[in-house]
Amino acid sequence: MDILVCVKQVPDPETKLRVSPSGKTFDSDGVKFTINNTYDEATVEEALRMKEEFGFSALRVISVGPARAEEALRSALAMGADEAVLIETPRDMPLDPLLVARYLAAAATDIPHDLIMVGRQAQDDEAGAVGSALGEYLGLPSYSFVTELTPVPANHLLKMKRYVEGGEEVFSAPFPAVLSILKGAKDPRTPTLPNILKARKKPLKKIPVKDLEAKVANLPGGTRPTSETLAFTLPPPRAGAKMIEFQTPEEAADRLLKVLKEEAKVL
Amino acid sequence: MTLNCLVITDQRSGVLSASSLEAISEARRLVVKAGGGTVAIGLIGSGLSPVVEAVKGQGVQRIFLVDHADLKGFSASAFAQAAVRMVEKLPAPVAVLMPDTALGRELAPRLGARLGAATVTAVVEIVPSSSGGLDVKRKVFGGKATETVHMPSPVVMSLRPNSFAIESSSGGSPSVESVELGELPVHAKGLSVEKVISTRGDTPELTEAAIVVSGGRGLKAPENFVLVENLAKVLGAAVGSSRAVVDAGWRPASYQVGQTGKIIAPQLYIACGISGAIQHLVGITNSRCIVAINKDPAAPIFKIADYGLAGDALTILPALTHLVSQSRGLPDPH
Ligand SMILES: Cc1cc2nc3c(=O)[nH]c(=O)nc-3n(C[C@H](O)[C@H](O)[C@H](O)COP(=O)(O)OP(=O)(O)OC[C@H]3O[C@@H](n4cnc5c(N)ncnc54)[C@H](O)[C@@H]3O)c2cc1C
Ligand SMILES: Nc1ncnc2c1ncn2[C@@H]1O[C@H](COP(=O)(O)O)[C@@H](O)[C@H]1O
Repeated sequence: MDILVCVKQVPDPETKLRVSPSGKTFDSDGVKFTINNTYDEATVEEALRMKEEFGFSALRVISVGPARAEEALRSALAMGADEAVLIETPRDMPLDPLLVARYLAAAATDIPHDLIMVGRQAQDDEAGAVGSALGEYLGLPSYSFVTELTPVPANHLLKMKRYVEGGEEVFSAPFPAVLSILKGAKDPRTPTLPNILKARKKPLKKIPVKDLEAKVANLPGGTRPTSETLAFTLPPPRAGAKMIEFQTPEEAADRLLKVLKEEAKVL
Repeated sequence: MTLNCLVITDQRSGVLSASSLEAISEARRLVVKAGGGTVAIGLIGSGLSPVVEAVKGQGVQRIFLVDHADLKGFSASAFAQAAVRMVEKLPAPVAVLMPDTALGRELAPRLGARLGAATVTAVVEIVPSSSGGLDVKRKVFGGKATETVHMPSPVVMSLRPNSFAIESSSGGSPSVESVELGELPVHAKGLSVEKVISTRGDTPELTEAAIVVSGGRGLKAPENFVLVENLAKVLGAAVGSSRAVVDAGWRPASYQVGQTGKIIAPQLYIACGISGAIQHLVGITNSRCIVAINKDPAAPIFKIADYGLAGDALTILPALTHLVSQSRGLPDPH
């Protein structure tokens, strides 16, 4: 029984964002990319737990991205994944989450998968859209915002908790399936140096996007993004908090409520 | 130009949420801006009659209903099938709107993928575009940037709670039309929820509340957390916390805001005794106004807050609660 985890390499959240000359995206020149989307690190950790505790055999990681995305895959390999697949895109290829999902679906048909796991969202596009779209393209069920996961492999069943407004739902459902993980049981491990070295030798297969185009063209939406980004804008930089001066707690309360009513107009 | 809108509502927790009403209000406005068209509400689930009554007075023209025993629990695949049947009843150009709740966030991409439609989640602003379709804005990079996206018809999107005004409706007497679900794939049949663990107290839901008051380790002891809850009570706000509070066992995990908790975007966020670790900040940066109360004037939270009080939350919170309750004619909570 095999697990496939989708990971995305994203810019370091501390990085200073600049707008690209086209005005339509962020300028990736000189941007430091983190090894991995933090939500995906949590997902890799949860997938490792599936292997360690529930007898899943192989854990593969897959990413759609330019050559540099190999770093994200290597870092997942260093955490403990067994193999990696990079669907390699030209550097400036326009992508939206559903197109990413179509490429993942096209590749996944040739990669064994009993469970596919994705993160809650990518830290850059914040779409949270790839998981359920991937389920759709593959004809698999998807379960999102999973907060607790206990597989019963013998019955091909997953016992889960998932977040809903106002609480959590407890339910069982069949797999193969695509899961988006809100929260794993453990914090993601930090790869050790020996494991980082070992990861360099683990298998990593590169598939150029053009090898998958014929399959992607057959899915609804095809090989182009269905929407078009018109503009990418940055708000004026945050000046830092306006500090409210006070002598007593009563004065603090009084001044704060005044600015919230009169200036911020949020009360 | 005209536009036909289908609004899929979320009544998973048994009630029509405020975020669903936001989506209905926005659909009515969009149709007016586009110069005419139909607003239809799509109800999907099991045992929906009470909801039908609740949405009849929402000033829309049509109500589509897929009421089926197999839709008792939420399966994105099954719900997408129901939604497709509804979309088929509306002439192009069509926009499907739903709230960006847990349900909407999962359903919108699934439906968009099935239709081959332009699809986005967590939209905060929508304008009909001159070339047809819609131009929408959404926040990216943890609220640090805004993206404007052009979406040709058909459009599927989820709307971020607290981003669109709720306007009371003009009544109307919509037609109620039962829509055939058709045969579901085996995996989508009758997902059954064994149990719902409710964390909803008498305060509003964190992800949908207009005001959120949150407490951190700076409150010093579990018994002091009630100071946060008292302020929330008089403000009609939801209560949140940092992870430190959850890890210390002061409050359950459902309170946690941030990377491994809830991502929220209220009008007003008040952080009390919270340092402002990056994992907490990613959960709050989309808030319209952030207030921080922290003893340490150098705490990182002040870098992203709009207003700061450098002082002791244990004394400022009761003073705030007292003043708010006084001005609203409420008794002081204890
Ligand atoms: C993988 C991972 C995921 C995480 N996910 C989350 C998450 O989702 N959400 C989250 O919140 N954290 C998360 N964290 C933890 C995060 O890094 C911080 O440890 C946590 O947010 C700190 O909580 P805190 O601000 O309450 O506590 P502290 O950092 O201890 O800050 C307490 C603050 O209170 C102030 N203070 C002290 N006394 C007073 C007083 N009397 N009045 C006013 N102020 C006072 C102090 O100056 C200090 O700034 C995560 C960490 C990891 C590694
Ligand atoms: N380019 C990508 N390659 C592989 N997986 C991705 C990619 N983009 C997104 N994902 C996966 O989908 C999840 C949700 O991403 P998004 O829908 O973009 O917010 C992420 O946490 C990843 O698990």
